[in-house]
Amino acid sequence: MSESNYTKEKKVGEGTYAVVYLGKQLSSGDSIAVKEIKTSEFKDGLDMSAIREVKYLQELNHPNVINLIDIFMAYDNLNLVLEFLPTDLEVVIKDKNILFTPADIKSWMLMTLRGVYHVHRNFILHRDLKPNNLLISPDGLIKVADFGLARAVPGPREMLTSNVVTRWYRAPELLFGAKHYTYAVDVWSIGVIFAELMLRIPYLPGQDDMNQMEVTFRALGTPTDKQWPEVSSFPGYNKLQIYPSPSRDELRKRFIAATESALTLMENMLMMNPQTRWNTIQCLESEYFKELPAPSDPADINIFSQKV
Amino acid sequence: MSREVSQTPDINKSDSPATETADSKKPANYKRISDDDLYRHSSQFRMWSFTEKNLREKRKKTNERAIGTINEKLRKFIEDNKSSLTEEELQTLRVKASPLSMEEELQLINFYSKKVQVIAQHLNLPTEVIATSITFFRRFFLDNSVMEFDPKNLVHTTIFLACKSENYFISVDSFAKKAKSNREAILKYEFKLVESLKFSLLNHHPYKPLHGFFLDIQTILYGKVDLKYMGQIYDRCKKKITDALLTDIVYLFTPPQITLAIISMEDEQLISRYLELKFGKDISNNTDDQENGVNKEVKEVNKEEEGGVPEKVDDKHEPQNDIELNKLLTIISQCVDLLEKSESVTTDDAKRVAAKNYYCQNPSILLQKLKRKLESSNDNNGNESPSKKPKIEE
Repeated sequence: MSESNYTKEKKVGEGTYAVVYLGKQLSSGDSIAVKEIKTSEFKDGLDMSAIREVKYLQELNHPNVINLIDIFMAYDNLNLVLEFLPTDLEVVIKDKNILFTPADIKSWMLMTLRGVYHVHRNFILHRDLKPNNLLISPDGLIKVADFGLARAVPGPREMLTSNVVTRWYRAPELLFGAKHYTYAVDVWSIGVIFAELMLRIPYLPGQDDMNQMEVTFRALGTPTDKQWPEVSSFPGYNKLQIYPSPSRDELRKRFIAATESALTLMENMLMMNPQTRWNTIQCLESEYFKELPAPSDPADINIFSQKV
Repeated sequence: MSREVSQTPDINKSDSPATETADSKKPANYKRISDDDLYRHSSQFRMWSFTEKNLREKRKKTNERAIGTINEKLRKFIEDNKSSLTEEELQTLRVKASPLSMEEELQLINFYSKKVQVIAQHLNLPTEVIATSITFFRRFFLDNSVMEFDPKNLVHTTIFLACKSENYFISVDSFAKKAKSNREAILKYEFKLVESLKFSLLNHHPYKPLHGFFLDIQTILYGKVDLKYMGQIYDRCKKKITDALLTDIVYLFTPPQITLAIISMEDEQLISRYLELKFGKDISNNTDDQENGVNKEVKEVNKEEEGGVPEKVDDKHEPQNDIELNKLLTIISQCVDLLEKSESVTTDDAKRVAAKNYYCQNPSILLQKLKRKLESSNDNNGNESPSKKPKIEE
């Protein structure tokens, strides 16, 4: 644990609570990223996001979760040394010069679900899954990153804030302002990411919180008490426009390249009722991963632009 | 920070359910990760579980380091003031300005741990936050000596960090107001604290296992236990868990082991009946548990068997899913013994140790005190007060 073992060579990003540098681990020569937590800016001492990130990454060790290599203090700043991850799924989706296949999507989904499964079985909720937080290693592995919003799975009577997850990836229970929710919020996000991978554009791009409900229910149907007991008792439910759930045929038309098993997986991840939404185990065991094409070998997927 | 964990099995390998190929055959090295395996990967197990011997050595090392520093300072103080020190003063320094022993340090830590608990309770914090406050505080003083950091300066810092770490955010200003402290004092050692905690902030307290056993006992002994009685037991155990966090038990046993020990202190018969029914199967081996559907619970309890007393967990130790009831009972009774032995520190003892701690760090104040004592007894008005400043640590 020492700063002298790492170099910070290039500033690559700046968020609200941290600056990220690229550098090297001197002992090994490996590329690394150093996330320097800006502590001086916070009047309440160590920032909650930093605390969450440190707390959960310490416990998680999995090939599909970002690896926390080291932590050190320098000049009153907290520095997280993370593995070097050159790109992320958002960049890949947006870059029209990158072509990817259904087998590539399957591979990414598999890795994402494995990573999140590991997070969940450690009783942790991520609460901010989106393409931008699914980083990709030089050898093509998906790494679930950014645990700044994560928390422990709540006890039965614990109250939570519903103001989590980036809007487009926010599950309906969160849109309704539920005070209690669980693993299912993360599965929803992965479901939306799955759709985005197939469409190559954001699937439910709401413009604001109200519009997000509109967009979500127009695409997937407004939940009813029959599908989701007592959903109508959420405040604001009465003001909603009631849309029917899309038929399988409608989904087929929207997701032209998707197989039946792919649609089944997506539908079950995007189940309105969080109780009946699939968990990560059900997702991983779904037919989609067993049918052809087999998921691509991560190392063979093109993750960088081909333009020369 | 080493992320390597030597215990088997490798959590990184293909343990996700299904997947891999269309072929449903499992690879040769296929192994489902049990809850015990997960616990063995937790920072609590990796960094904060010890044998009694380890723990003692750790404290001894911390104590000796601090003694070294203090003795050096004292030697220098005497050296620097050689000419002006009387024989009586030297004598006082020799007797009263001596560093704390490891046992005395522990007394002070135990005393202040209790204080952390009382203050956190007074602030109306949730149980888990109180538990984490105590845990953070005690862990801090495994690697830091009370002669290096005055424990009273860490009390609010640990509680404040515990609030944040347990997702129970209070702004530092309102915390300071409630705790009658101030922002600077609370935040001064926050970094040092996080660093001393080796950046490991996630705690597994025994409250969740208590809830689990509470439910499982009612399932296993269905119709044989009174629910109201169980409710009372539950509340009493919950309190006792918090008390147990004030002891070294948490370093020596796993959360479920501690829980079973505490329930059995409340009602020994209840626990022995429960464990007997659950794991007792006189037919020696219960390897078919997997098929019996008690698999999950077996693993859960297995935690205490394996994770518990770290000396028993050898690197090559294979996790096993069958519980040896006798072994489990032995561990529980060891834990009960230790819990019963633990006693609280009296305020007088704490005061005495705190004074000693103060004087060994501030010999000049000790001498001033001696001087005043002499003056008042001699009724002699020497107005020359020594201008030596007390050496304040840090």
